[in-house]
This record gives sequence, C-alpha cells and structure tokens, in this order.
Amino acid sequence: MQRRVSYIYAAPVPALLGGLLMAASQLMIVLVAPVEERMGLIQKIFYLHLPLAWWGLFSFFMVFVCSLLYLLRRDFFWDALSEAAAACGLLLAVLALATGSIWARISWNTWWTWDPRLTTTLVLCFIYAGFLLIRRMDMTPERRGGVSAALGIIAFLDVPLVFFSARLWPQTIHPQVVTQGQGGGLDPSMRLTLICCLISFGFLWAALLTLRFRLGRLEEVLNARLLVQEPETAGNHPQNNEEKNNG
Amino acid sequence: MIRAALLMARKDLLLLCARGAGLAQALLLGLLLLFIFSLARGIAEEFSAQAASAVFWMATLFCQVLIFNALYALEEDNGQRQALLMLPVPEQSIWAGKGLAGMVILLAAQGVFIPATVVFLDQDIQGGLLGGLRLILTADLGLAAAGSLLGALAQGRAARESLLSVIIFPLLLPLLLAAIRLGAEAISGAGLEEAENWFRLLLVFDGLFLAAGLALFGFIYNAQE
Repeated sequence: MQRRVSYIYAAPVPALLGGLLMAASQLMIVLVAPVEERMGLIQKIFYLHLPLAWWGLFSFFMVFVCSLLYLLRRDFFWDALSEAAAACGLLLAVLALATGSIWARISWNTWWTWDPRLTTTLVLCFIYAGFLLIRRMDMTPERRGGVSAALGIIAFLDVPLVFFSARLWPQTIHPQVVTQGQGGGLDPSMRLTLICCLISFGFLWAALLTLRFRLGRLEEVLNARLLVQEPETAGNHPQNNEEKNNG
Repeated sequence: MIRAALLMARKDLLLLCARGAGLAQALLLGLLLLFIFSLARGIAEEFSAQAASAVFWMATLFCQVLIFNALYALEEDNGQRQALLMLPVPEQSIWAGKGLAGMVILLAAQGVFIPATVVFLDQDIQGGLLGGLRLILTADLGLAAAGSLLGALAQGRAARESLLSVIIFPLLLPLLLAAIRLGAEAISGAGLEEAENWFRLLLVFDGLFLAAGLALFGFIYNAQE
C-alpha cells in the first residue's frame, strides 16, 4: 500500500506536462486552426468541448472497470480510484455540457436540444452525481465499497440504453464531425489542433485524477487517526472522569 | 429460490396491506400528480396523448419510489435485515420477492391511475387492450427489478425517498422514454413506426436489470453496516 501511495506524489508530472501542452494547444487554436467558414470564431470552442467530453466519458468507463476490480479483489485501492474517476468525469462532463450549450446557443439558436449525445452526457452527470452522493453517506468502508461498485457497474451498463433511447426519440441536430458524417470531416490543421488539445487534456485529466485520488487517501488516513483519537479524548472527558471517580 | 421469493412477496404484501399507510401514500401521490398536471391544460385546450402518457408514467415512477421504500422499510427496525439475511435461502430471493410484491402493488396503483388519466387529462383511450397490457407488464417488470435492486440502497437512510429518486430516475430514462412513446400509441391508437424498436428496448432494459439484480443484489444488501 505504501508503494501505491508514493505513486500519487507523481501528480506534478502530468500537471506540468498538461500545463505546458495546454499553453501550446491554446496557441494552436488561435494561430494554426483556421476560422470555420459558417460558424465563425465560436467554432473554436469545439477544441475544448470535444476533449472535455471524451475524457469525461473515459473517466466513467474507468469507474466501471475500477468497480469490477473492487468487487473481484476487495482492494480499497480500486474503490478510491473509482471515486476519483467519478469526480473527474463529473467535472469534465459538466464543463463539456456548458461549452456545448454556449456553442449551441450561438450556432443553432438554442441552449439545449434533445440529442442522443447531449442527453446521454446529462444523464451520466445525474447518475455519477448520485454515485458521489452515495459515497458521502455514513457507511462502513466495506458497505460503501460494495454499494458504490454495484452502482458503478449498473450505471455504465445502462449508458448504451440511454444513448439508443435518446436516438430513437425523434429530434437531433448534433453533427458527426470527427467520423466524417454529416459534418463533412475536419481540415488537417483543425485535426492537428484537436489532437494536441486531446493530449493536453489527457495530461490534465491524469493530474486531476491523481490529485483527487491522493485527497481521498489522505481523507482515509485522517478519518483513521480521528477514530484512534476519539476514544482517548472520550477517556479524558470530565464527565467520564467523574463517573470513574464515582465508580 | 422461487418458493422463498413467493413467500417473501406474500409476507410483504400482507404487511403492507395490513398497515396501509405506505400504500395509501404512494397511491395518493400518483393521483395528486395526475390532478396537478391537469392544470397545465388551458380552457378548451387538448392534452396530447404523448403528454398524457408522460404524466401517467411520471405518476407511476413516483409511486414506485414510495412503494419500494415502504417495502424495504418493513425490515428497518430491530436488526430484521440481518434476520432476513440469516434465512437459509439465497439472498436474491429477497430481491425477487420484494420485486414481485412491488410489481403487484404497482399494477394495482396503475389500475387507479389509468381511469384518473382518462378523467383528469381528458383522454379517450383508442388503442387495443392487448397492446396496452403488454406495455404495462413489460415496463413494470423493469421498474420492479430496478426498484427492488436500488431500493435496498436507500434502506434506513435519512431522506431515503429523495435519495432513491436521485439515483433511480436517471437510470430509468430509457424505460421512461419507451413507455411514454408506446403509451402515447396505446392512448391515441395511431400506429407507431418504430414501436417494435421501443418494445425491444424495454425488453433489453428488463433483461439488464434482472441480470444486475441477480448478480449485484448481494453486494448492496449483504454488506455489514
């Protein structure tokens, strides 16, 4: 366990790399990527929106994998990692929704539309907010681990159904730009900028994940110390001493 | 396991019917929702079949949350949960029994909500009886499987009704969408092009939550407090 805890001090490495690459990718967004003909300057939000959405979804997949591993191995390392991944995923997914909403308002004249990807992302936000809520409840670590791992598995298995149900619902305006669908694909310089953004966000995500994981482990250590101290404090309580004397 | 589940369902149904309060609360909430949503209709305005179907299923969902909370609240006191777990039967029979009891109560509640939808939302049901029955049974199976699995999560917790709603509603979205679309078809009687796709989605949802219940219920219910 000590070896694993020492890994988390490596958080500054992805943070530093992420910061440098983020600065480079911002320059690329401004200097290299051309301004899109129809949408204009607002299209540049796409370079933030897509990496946020992809890394957010990857985080939720990681929650699923960590939940499975926790149930198989009963190791709290996976439990803590699933919580960190859920928190990072929720943050990134909310930011992806916010950037997407701003983009949609200017491009399509609406803040929100019933679209499979939008709906799925929003539902994921609700599900993983519930997941984090469950983890904050007063439970023994074993019960919390079991309950949240079960929820982490159910939540991810439900995602394809949410996506397909939203797709069957007859309204969508979301273009498929990356896979060359109705959006017509990407210009090479745009693609290069996007790849750079994806990598920089990947490092940023790794830094956030390690920091959140470390926070979770430190919280556990503090809680364990509190549990040790509490009986001692209770023993020194004046009322207890009085009872002892009377006894 | 099936015999144990049937016994569990019988015990829960008898207890809930004898006490009455939990059951009446769920029924009243659903009826109130249907009544309040009828205010959304202006004078001489028509409530569309899809809107009526959505309100009907929302009433069913809220009723389901209260039903499963009431079912799991039966074993909240005096360590009765531990007593249930000590029974020489698979723990999945608890999930199946509570799911079955919940489904029976939900069907009974819907027996009240359907006439209420006709009256309060001014609907004229034109679809076939068989189609409507197939929809209700398939959707309720998924609702019962998911409700029984996740109801165990909220057992003994403060604000358990809101906690269960927050967790279960996003997960039930596929079922809700399919039920609303098929329900609109059942009310209006107009053929829906993708009706079979929606129905398949309902079946997959049922399969997913039945499998999840069998595989994961133990992890949710069995862990020590």
